[in-house]
Amino acid sequence: MKKPLFQRVMCFILSVATLLGAGGFTVAAGDLKPDTTAATLDEMKAVVGTTTYAEYIAGYKDAKPGKGVIQLSNDRVSGAVKVTESEQCKDANITEREDYDFENHQNAVYLSATSKATWTFDVADDEIGLYYIKVVYYNCDTRDSSISTIQRKLYLDDKIPFSEAGSLQFQKYWVTNNAETVVTDTDEEDKVFDPRYETRADGYYKVYSYVKDGKKYETTYKISQDINGNSMAPELVQSSAWHTYYCQDSTGYEHGYFMFHILNGNSHTLTLEAEREDMIVESIELIPVDTSVVDIPSYEDVKAEYEANGYKPAEGGNIYVIEAEFPDAVSDSSVYATNDNTSAANFPSTSKAQLYNVIGENSYNTVGQWAAYKFRVSKDGLYNISMRYKQSALQGMYVCRAVKLSGGKYGLSDGTPTAPFQEAYNARFDYNKEWQSNYLSDGSGEAFQFYFEEGVEYTIYLECSLGSLKELIQRVEVSLDKINECYLKILQLTGNDPDEYRDYKFDEIMPDVLYEFLVQAENLENVKNEFVELCGTTGSHVTTLHTIALLLDRMGSNYGDDVAANMSTLKSYLGTLGTWINNSKTSPMVVDSLTVAPSDSGKAGLKRATPNFFVSIGFEIASFFWSFFTEYDQMGLTRVPDADSKKIDVWLATGRDQSQIWRGLIDAKDGFTDRTGVAVTLKLVTGGTLLPSVLSGKGPDVYMGLGSTDVINYAIRDAVYAVSGNEKSFTEEQNKIFSSNYYTYIEDGKYVTSTVAPENYTGSGTYVENSKTLTFEEVLGAEDDPNYVKAALDTLQLQGMTFGIPQTMSFAMMFYRMDVLAELGQEVPESWGELLALLPVLQTNNMSIGVNYISAIDFMIYQKGGNMWKYPDDPDYQGAKIDLDSDVALEAFDYVCRLYSDYSFPVSYDAANRFRTGEMPIIIGDYASIYNQLVVYATEIAGLWEFTSLPGSFREDGSFNYNSLAGIGATVMLNGCKDILSSWQFMQWETSADIQAAYGNKMVALIGPSAKYESANVKALRDLSWTASEKLAIEEQMECLYSIVNYPGSYIINRYTKFAFLAAVNDGADAVDALTGYIDDINTEIYRKRQEFGMKVLEPGEEPGDVAGGDT
Amino acid sequence: MAQNNNAEISRPVKRSEVSKIRWTWEEMKNNKTAYFMLAPFFLLFIIFTILPVVLSMLLSFTDFNMLQMPPHWMGMSNFTRLFLGDDIFLLACQNTLIFAAVTGPVSYLLSLLIAWFINELPPKIRAVVTLIFYAPSISGQVYLIWKTLFSSDSYGWVNATMIDLGVISEPILWFENADYVMPLCIVVALWTSLGTAFLSFIAGFQTIDRSMYEAAAVDGIKNRWQELWYITLPTMRPQLMFGAVLAITNSFGFGAVVDALCGFPSVDYAAHTIMHHLNDYGGQRYEIGYASAIAVLLFIIMFSSNVIIKKALSKVGE
Repeated sequence: MKKPLFQRVMCFILSVATLLGAGGFTVAAGDLKPDTTAATLDEMKAVVGTTTYAEYIAGYKDAKPGKGVIQLSNDRVSGAVKVTESEQCKDANITEREDYDFENHQNAVYLSATSKATWTFDVADDEIGLYYIKVVYYNCDTRDSSISTIQRKLYLDDKIPFSEAGSLQFQKYWVTNNAETVVTDTDEEDKVFDPRYETRADGYYKVYSYVKDGKKYETTYKISQDINGNSMAPELVQSSAWHTYYCQDSTGYEHGYFMFHILNGNSHTLTLEAEREDMIVESIELIPVDTSVVDIPSYEDVKAEYEANGYKPAEGGNIYVIEAEFPDAVSDSSVYATNDNTSAANFPSTSKAQLYNVIGENSYNTVGQWAAYKFRVSKDGLYNISMRYKQSALQGMYVCRAVKLSGGKYGLSDGTPTAPFQEAYNARFDYNKEWQSNYLSDGSGEAFQFYFEEGVEYTIYLECSLGSLKELIQRVEVSLDKINECYLKILQLTGNDPDEYRDYKFDEIMPDVLYEFLVQAENLENVKNEFVELCGTTGSHVTTLHTIALLLDRMGSNYGDDVAANMSTLKSYLGTLGTWINNSKTSPMVVDSLTVAPSDSGKAGLKRATPNFFVSIGFEIASFFWSFFTEYDQMGLTRVPDADSKKIDVWLATGRDQSQIWRGLIDAKDGFTDRTGVAVTLKLVTGGTLLPSVLSGKGPDVYMGLGSTDVINYAIRDAVYAVSGNEKSFTEEQNKIFSSNYYTYIEDGKYVTSTVAPENYTGSGTYVENSKTLTFEEVLGAEDDPNYVKAALDTLQLQGMTFGIPQTMSFAMMFYRMDVLAELGQEVPESWGELLALLPVLQTNNMSIGVNYISAIDFMIYQKGGNMWKYPDDPDYQGAKIDLDSDVALEAFDYVCRLYSDYSFPVSYDAANRFRTGEMPIIIGDYASIYNQLVVYATEIAGLWEFTSLPGSFREDGSFNYNSLAGIGATVMLNGCKDILSSWQFMQWETSADIQAAYGNKMVALIGPSAKYESANVKALRDLSWTASEKLAIEEQMECLYSIVNYPGSYIINRYTKFAFLAAVNDGADAVDALTGYIDDINTEIYRKRQEFGMKVLEPGEEPGDVAGGDT
Repeated sequence: MAQNNNAEISRPVKRSEVSKIRWTWEEMKNNKTAYFMLAPFFLLFIIFTILPVVLSMLLSFTDFNMLQMPPHWMGMSNFTRLFLGDDIFLLACQNTLIFAAVTGPVSYLLSLLIAWFINELPPKIRAVVTLIFYAPSISGQVYLIWKTLFSSDSYGWVNATMIDLGVISEPILWFENADYVMPLCIVVALWTSLGTAFLSFIAGFQTIDRSMYEAAAVDGIKNRWQELWYITLPTMRPQLMFGAVLAITNSFGFGAVVDALCGFPSVDYAAHTIMHHLNDYGGQRYEIGYASAIAVLLFIIMFSSNVIIKKALSKVGE
């Protein structure tokens, strides 16, 4: 992997050059070859070829610490603008905010989400040495921000010093927006009150209060609830504030801060290249590594210090309970309070409703995520901290939290928390399927003691970390890489299915591979033993390692028989090992409460872990009883609609998370109901429910996410209303709804809808902000800046009418493995020609390319300039005949068949799995679903793959096209809808860019990065949490989309093209003959269907022109 | 007169003296408790079984499309189209008959033979073996194991093995190749067919009175075959009937498994049965009227084959 320095430098210079070249927003016209967003070979090599931090720092073992702080000047920066000059900052009024403190931060620079900012600095001769890099930043929330963490690539002198520096994560801080502080004068002495937790009629409260210097401070936190008493997710908002960041590892393997070796000389550069999000940087400093700011002592030393200072357990100190569901700040919007009713001892808990009583579960388990809690103590002295938690996910393992503190003597001077001693990085929580209550400790049995002073506000941070397991997991990860390399090497020799009876002479050809097997077998076995020693138990978790080690050992020693025979087993074990690492890296745990107690409290400082038997059984029975009365439909409903208010029924067939997010958006302040006064009954239904419900007349008013095939199916049978061109089904009065703007006013406490604009309004009511309802034309957006691509609308149109508004849009893109292509020295193919040229190289190495043949047939026809239907522009006869018998379509079909028959593309394959092992370095498939799958399923190749637009085809006329097929899910209004205006208001609200973006971002916040939402709204896509380059790639593909309109009878097309394709591939039939044989069958079916719906038909051999205007 | 009346009443009423309807009515009145207790099931049976069948028969004469009411009366045109204008229906009929002809009798005989064989085993072993044979049909979608075995992927078990052995060089698309689809589906059908019928056979064997065999031996039964034919089978005629009905319904209604294995529709309609044709029109094309016509035909075919089987079974042991 290591490359000569010169080559690496060259790579970087080239990659920088290409990056700068592709930096701007290049919008390619539909038919021109794009300035592709795919990575070049050099870029890919740069990703693959860098060293790790461990290797980097090993090279500077003898280097001295730097001397003196080196301040990087914001006057010598390029690629960033002053905050005062930035449009985005002006729009968001950043500098006028109180927390921005403009007085002290006048010189800060704004780094946009696509920026690459470079600071130039000089280093004196005696300053050469090792430094930490400290960045003071402000997380802004401009229009360009989303919920993602800020991510930057760091270059020193145009070179990423080590791979970890390629993904620095600058955290944002999230706080709930429902804490209120009241300050009152008082004569009381300084004191600290125990926090109070109360369930009141309108929600669940925490009251945090203390008296200091004659003033009483009382902060009230609230978790609000719906009409049935279920807690509702408190909204987390970004707290924009100044933060200090020391460059550190985001993967959790390296504790402490990165050290960088800085050479002397003038005009060195430090570059921060944006990966995600924008930020404001006040200063960057290079801090010599011997500075004591980050020197963390061992617990032994800390104890000795306690003794020397004569610290004693805090006598008479209060026992301070912190309920974990009220964090003061969290690192991520996905770390939020939730409900856990598995134990009656959880506080608060009721069997009637779902009260938020814990934090954690699945969303608070990734390295680096933390939750922070403020507390005060009433007496000086030593304290223990206990926790009531449940760690029931990782059997045979423990999870770790790094305990960091700020306030008083803890943390850095600017409030950045630090671990009080080394062992605090490894606070250990063992597995148990029941709830546990224990003092924080590192597993040695001795509870950590902390010294706290009265009157000081401390904040405790509980950060997910790998703790003491990090080294073991890292070793397994290295092993996995090595074994994977070996696997690919053998694969290149033997192919997918090695012949176990053949002698491949592995010992002569690749003795190093066999040796590596033995080394890794021993390594895994060692790791396993150390695991058992550390955890004290042998769970199924470590057995995995043992099993794999056994296999490797056999393959390495008995190579004659066992290598070839066990290749497929090895492959599945590689997958298992990847999953193992994934699981080990997460640290799932549910936390109910923390207790800060004087260190001599003993049992008194621990909350009861499990309730007694009778309480438990009573709780279970009550829960069962109440489950009959829970109205799941009403989850999250905050107000009972007035009897006379407007109501609409909306159905959707997604998951419960999705429906709760919609519920939240509808009910939010400035949400739909707030704006229009229309109450929405949101129902989560299963997919097939719509049809029978429409049949029986019990259908909804609006259905969200109906597939375009069904939209047309329902439309031709009059089951959905057209939202444009709908004169046929609507009266003139009703039709006006879709072509006028409506505004909502509140008159005498009642919502009134009117077409009068606020500027002309003369009534007594007040206008509700943002309540303007758009016309259909406005929903589509301006012609030069549309909200939807043409393909998205095409597929919802029939006979001049549009049935519904596009909601989701999926389309195929190309995913590629950068490491594999870089190793083979191949560029990412941009056209099918290039792809086929690459194929021999892949096939020599027993690799292949994964494309689904059905979609390949479709997009190839359109790439080559064909069309699925004849007469696309004739309103009467569009869809009357299939155009598969045209020369272009037949050629495209033949081309695709040859890919599979002559070029041996696999017809059937497990894409994600083969992509992960590298056997299929290129796969083509739906961008969001494959992305989501790879993000959770193949974390070991994170950062090694990207996606870009499809390979394109050159057409006869020399133009170039990389069309992909758009699949649409739409929001539709059903026939029988009771309130057309309200339904229309809802539809256009729901599909608007803001709401779509909010929904997509909430999905990611709630479920994680694998919940990317494929909104059909082009403008919403810009606000979703894709990285800048991903966004660029998606937008590029969006420029080149088409859709196949589902005219009556269209279901028959794929059926017969599939038959023809399989005949060609299975039996070697001539592709063109096979397809033309089915053309008549297809046309007959279409003819029959059109007749059924009374549409104009064409006899075989008849052209539209032949029909002399008369009846058919 | 009064005396006469009394005399009449006290005399038992003869069956032939009253009309059939009246007789039934009287009987129902006498047994009203039984009818009352029968009512809940009877109502459900009428609403959810009889009524849909009748409705479906009515709909088969219309162009009902699932969404638009009311449907139009079409007369016999659905049926004429079915026989004269729909090539694929004829293909589906052919497939169904092949399928039913192979799987029906074979699975029936197989069930019977295996049940007979198992019946001879000692009780403990019998329980275990019964479970082994019955397992495929209780484990729900276990037939999907065939999808793994015959996966089209080059990593599929059969493909991988055959590539290993050098029989083939490219993976065979088992369930997407018209040549293999039908035989594979028949094999899977047979594998899963040892279901309820098989159990009822075992139960049937258990109910036979042992003393009958002894009596038969005295009467001159020569061998086990005669024992089977003259005693065992006639005694368990109800179970045989039950098994036969199930075998027929299963072999005609075998659709879901094919869908799961081959996708819908199967390649080149190679395993397209009447059941699939019905789903195609009912589910995909929303032509419920036409689909009902298909269903009615399927109903008639199943019903008549049941009648035939009943006749055939009455000959057992004669």
